[in-house]
Amino acid sequence: MKRIAIDPITRLEGHGKITIFLNDEGAVDNAYLQIPELRGFEKFVEGLPVEEIPRVVTRICGV
Amino acid sequence: MKLNIGIYWGAACGGCDVAILDTHEKLLEIADMADIHLWPIAMDFKYSDVRAMKDGYLDAVLFSGGVRNSENEEIAKLLRAKTKTMIALGACAQMGGVPGLANMYTREDILKRVYLESESTANTEGIVPLEGAKNGAHELELPRFYNTVKTLSQVVDVDYTIPGCPPASMQIYSALGLIWDNMLPKKGSIIGAGDRALCDECSRKKSEKTITKIFRTHEKLPDAETCFLEQGFICLGPATRSGCGSRCIKSGTPCRGCYGPLDDVADQGIKMLSALASVIEAKDEKDIDAVLDTVVDPLRTFHRFSLASSILRRKKA
Amino acid sequence: MAFEPRIVGFLCNWCTYTGADLAGTARVKYSPNIRSIRVMCSGRVDPVFVIKALYEGADGVLLGGCHPGDCHYQEGNYKALRRYLLLKRILPEYGIEPGRVRLEWVSASEGERFGRVVDEFTEEIRKLGPLKIKESIFESMRGDVLHESERSEQTGEAR
Ligand code: SF4
Ligand code: SF4
Repeated sequence: MKRIAIDPITRLEGHGKITIFLNDEGAVDNAYLQIPELRGFEKFVEGLPVEEIPRVVTRICGV
Repeated sequence: MKLNIGIYWGAACGGCDVAILDTHEKLLEIADMADIHLWPIAMDFKYSDVRAMKDGYLDAVLFSGGVRNSENEEIAKLLRAKTKTMIALGACAQMGGVPGLANMYTREDILKRVYLESESTANTEGIVPLEGAKNGAHELELPRFYNTVKTLSQVVDVDYTIPGCPPASMQIYSALGLIWDNMLPKKGSIIGAGDRALCDECSRKKSEKTITKIFRTHEKLPDAETCFLEQGFICLGPATRSGCGSRCIKSGTPCRGCYGPLDDVADQGIKMLSALASVIEAKDEKDIDAVLDTVVDPLRTFHRFSLASSILRRKKA
Repeated sequence: MAFEPRIVGFLCNWCTYTGADLAGTARVKYSPNIRSIRVMCSGRVDPVFVIKALYEGADGVLLGGCHPGDCHYQEGNYKALRRYLLLKRILPEYGIEPGRVRLEWVSASEGERFGRVVDEFTEEIRKLGPLKIKESIFESMRGDVLHESERSEQTGEAR
């Protein structure tokens, strides 16, 4: 079995990698898109004053 | 000789990269100054390319984003070995930035909220990210999601810092010019920013401040010419470094401190706490408390961008 | 070993520190748990000092100033009061009991009261137990890899 890693994937916002497994014939056995990224905005915006949200969640993606 | 540089993002939003792109036609000058060997947002280099470099091959790395997980850390250390000069780019690399607000919670709080409780997520099997997983013969790894967001300098040695969320494009351009011209100041310096408080450069009218109530931005319309703080809006100008060109102030909204503290200030948020307390008029405990009751969410307001770099860094378990 | 609170006191030169001096010359007996630092005015105490003291191992911080109206510099003690009240509001957000920081007005003639204040505060902190904030921060980062300079702090002497 052969393994190909595309790490990182580029020209987009954020982090990601693709891992492809080839079987002995060289055909794709399976491919995985992995997102190694997490910030937790869902949690830490809790309880923030609502008028502050626009200036906070814009930091999810600045692209 | 052209410079060899790398541009990378840890726990960032990509806004710093866009700020580099926002130098517009100056980008062509940057391209004349430097060969770029890593820049995930714009160019297709892989980590394997970086690993193949000789140590110290790069002249400078612009690293945006904080250190949220083990991958951020691993790449930060890898780049530190490959570069002569490590530059923290932006508020997240410098102070943790907005993602650093996660330090009010634990790793478990966050994973639970995001993967198990989020209203828009269907996750009946209750799957949370693992560091390693096996699917038959396929073994996969993910980085470890840390309990605490760290700044870049809490993980590797940082030579220079360009502050801002995001840094003003022309400030990035001029900071790159310092490298090119071999005019970098002493190690550890802040570059691409001023050395005074934002208030000192702010053009709003200032007089004696005697605050009797704190207003939230939807509670009244701010006067366009008077200092925000004087009008009772929390503005982090007194505790923030100049250099952004008063972007928020000029757009009619108070500063939230993205340019970070001035030199020798150990904790920007606590500095702001001190500054705000100083301008409240009341002298009697009851009256003071009445004013303080109008300060909503003080810890995160004072530390909007700087929690991870504050002295206490995170909520105690 | 039984827990002995470590208390850092920031005492103003004109009132509380002089009061503490008086407690000494009058041979007032009080808890030896306080480490007093003389400052010119309670208004000189940057809240960063307080946070830093807690971070570096104090279990409690006592701020001492002149009674309202008596400040040698007119307004310093009011400033101290406002900072103190605001600081007390963010401590719980950091997970720290607000009772670990206390502000008291003690005049130069109140030597005995100074002793009482220190005794009371020491007992309060004894009830709250050790703070160990640094240890707790580093404990919560266990499993995260650390910068060289911090690794030594993490494994540093346990208190
Ligand atoms: S507090 Fe804000 S509005 Fe007032 S002078 Fe400072 S930066 Fe300007
Ligand atoms: S005004 Fe404050 S928050 Fe806005 S860009 Fe400038 S430093 Fe950042």
